Amino acid sequence: MKDRSDHINLTTKELNELERADESFALRFKKRVIAALPIVAAVLHLLEYNYYPNYRLNTCTEVYNRFIGILLIAYAAAYILSFFSAKVYGYIYHKAAFYTVLMLLLTAYDFATLKTGKLALPYFPWVDSILNAMIDDREKLFDCVVHSLVLLFNGYFKGVVAGLICGIGAGWSRKISYWVYPVAKVLGAIPSTTYMPIVVMVAASLFQGAAFIIALGVWFPVTLTSMTGVQAVRKHYYEAAETLGTNKAGILFRVAIPAAMPNIFAGLTQGMSVACLTLVVAEMMGVESGLGWYVNWQKSWAAFAKMYGALIIICITFIITNGVLNIIKKRVLRWQKD
Amino acid sequence: MDMSDNGRIEIEKVTKIFRREDEDIETLTALEDVSLNIRSGEFVSIVGASGCGKSTLLRIIAGLETPTIGEVRKDGETIKGTDEKRGLVFQDHSLYPWLSVWDNVTFGLKSLGRYKEKKEYAGQLLEMVGLSGFSKSYPSQLSGGMSQRIALIRALVTEPDVLLLDEPLGALDAFTRMNIQDVLIDLWKETKSTMLLITHDVDEAIYLSQRVVVMTPRPGRIVDEFDIEMSYPRERSHSQFVEYRNKILKKLNYAHEQSIGYYI
Ligand SMILES: Nc1ncnc2c1ncn2[C@@H]1O[C@H](COP(=O)(O)OP(=O)(O)OP(=O)(O)O)[C@@H](O)[C@H]1O
Ligand SMILES: [Mg+2]
Repeated sequence: MKDRSDHINLTTKELNELERADESFALRFKKRVIAALPIVAAVLHLLEYNYYPNYRLNTCTEVYNRFIGILLIAYAAAYILSFFSAKVYGYIYHKAAFYTVLMLLLTAYDFATLKTGKLALPYFPWVDSILNAMIDDREKLFDCVVHSLVLLFNGYFKGVVAGLICGIGAGWSRKISYWVYPVAKVLGAIPSTTYMPIVVMVAASLFQGAAFIIALGVWFPVTLTSMTGVQAVRKHYYEAAETLGTNKAGILFRVAIPAAMPNIFAGLTQGMSVACLTLVVAEMMGVESGLGWYVNWQKSWAAFAKMYGALIIICITFIITNGVLNIIKKRVLRWQKD
Repeated sequence: MDMSDNGRIEIEKVTKIFRREDEDIETLTALEDVSLNIRSGEFVSIVGASGCGKSTLLRIIAGLETPTIGEVRKDGETIKGTDEKRGLVFQDHSLYPWLSVWDNVTFGLKSLGRYKEKKEYAGQLLEMVGLSGFSKSYPSQLSGGMSQRIALIRALVTEPDVLLLDEPLGALDAFTRMNIQDVLIDLWKETKSTMLLITHDVDEAIYLSQRVVVMTPRPGRIVDEFDIEMSYPRERSHSQFVEYRNKILKKLNYAHEQSIGYYI
C-alpha cells in the first residue's frame, strides 16, 4: 500500500493502481491468460491451416498465412504494449473474448470448407480463395469502390442539403411546414427504392436517376429530424437571444440550428444508412457500375469468391463512411454531456 | 462612459388579459390596472404569490408581450418589441449549452457587432463574478450558481439600461443564493443599471432593493410599496430589517385573507 499523507494527490493512473492493489496474484494471472487467448487461437488456426491435409483437390496459398499473420502480429504487439499501458491492457482484455471467438469461427469455417469439404464449392469458397480473388481483381474492385462512393455522396449530399432546407424551414416557419410536412409524410411512407423501375425508364442518365433516388431516401429522415429538432428548441433560448439584440437571421443560425444539431445528426446518420441501402439496390437494378453491380455480375458467372470479396469491401466501405460521420458528429456535439 | 440617466420605466394602467384555448371559458386577467414608476438606476423588487402576474409584467417590459390595455414607457418612449437595452434573466439560466462560457457571455456583443470593442468589458465582468477561469468550459460543466452568474453577465454585457430579473436565484440553495445576492449588488453598483427583480423571497427583496412592491393575484394588482431605507450592505438580523420583513409578510397575509390562493 501507498503511504497516506494528509493530502491525497493521485493521478488517474495511480488511482487505478491503488484500486487494483487488492487483486490477488491468481486473479491477475487469470486476466493475463484471458488477454492472451486470441494469440493462442490464431496460432492454432495457423497450425490447422498449414498442417491439416486439404480435402481432395482443394488448394490454398500463402496469402491466408500472411493475412492471419498480420492480425496475429498486431495483436501480439498490443499485448506486449499492454504491460506498459493500462489503457491498452483494458482495451485488449475487453476485446480478447471477441477476437478469440472470431479466430475459432475462422478456423471452423476453414475446416468445414478447405479441409473437409462439408460446405461445398462453388457456394462456400474458403477465405484464402476469397482473398486471392480480391487481389486478382483489385483494379476492377477499386474502380467499383470509386464509382459507388461517387454515386453515394452525390445522392447523399443532394438529399442532405434538400432535407436541411426543408426541415429547418418547416421547423422555423409554420407557412413552410404547411407545405412541406404533408409532402414529407406521404413520400416518406414509401421506400424510395420503389421508384427505381420508373426512374430507370424515365431518367436521362441512370447515374442521375440513381442519385435522385438516394437523395430522396436521405431527404426524408433529414427533413423530419431537423424539423422536430428546430420545433423542440426551448422558447427561452429564443427570448434570451431576442433580448440580447439578436435579429431573426441571427436567431435562426446562432440559436435554432445549433440547438437542433443533436436531432440533425440523428437524421444524417439515419440518412447515411438509407443511402447505403439504396445505393446497393440501385446498382443491382440498373446502374452498370459499382460494388452492387459487381456482386450481381459475379454471381451470374458463379464466381462466388469474387462475390464474397465484393461483399467484404462493401462492408468495409460503409463502416469507414459511418465512422467518419461519427467522428464529425462527436466533434460538433462535443458540448453534450456524455 | 456616458452616465446619462437612462433606464426610467413608467408602467401606466396596464391590464393584460390572456385568451383561453376553449372559447367558452372566461378569459384570464393576469394583470389589472397596474401602474408603477421606476427611477433610473433604482433597484426595485416585486414580491407576490404565484400566479399574480409578476412574470407577465416583466415580459411586457422586456417587450415579449404587449399589454391589452395601457402602456409601458422607457425613458419616455413607448416600448415596442425587444431591445438589448432591456436585458432579461430567467429562473432557469437558459445559457446555450452548445457555446462555451465565453461565447455565451459575448453572444449579445456579436449580435450587435460590438465584439471587438467590448470584449475587454466582458472579461472584466467575468472576473467580477469570479469565473474568468471557466471561459472555455461548457455550461454542462458548471454548477447552478455558476450558471446563474454567467447568465447575469451575459445580460449585462450589452450594457442594458434596465435589467429584468425573473426569480434568477429561485432554484439555488440558501448559501449560493446569499453569495449571488452580494454579486448582484456589486454588479448593480458597477453598471448603474436599473434593476427590477422578481422574487418569492421577502428577505432577498429587502436585502437587495431600495423599494419592494407587493402584488396580489386574481387579478394581478399592486397593493403596496415599501421604501427600504437602510444602507448597503444590509444586516439580515438588524431590527429594522426584521421590521420591514414583518410589515411585508403581513401585507402578503392580509392579501391572503382577501382572496383564495396559496403563498410561498
Ligand atoms: N401566454 C399565456 N397564455 C395564457 N395564460 C398565461 C400566459 N402567460 C401567463 N398566463 C397566466 O397568467 C397568470 C399570471 O402568470 P405569471 O407567469 O405572470 O405569474 P407569476 O406571478 O410569474 O407566477 P410565478 O410566481 O409562479 O412565476 C397565470 O395564471 C398564468 O397561467
Ligand atoms: Mg413567474
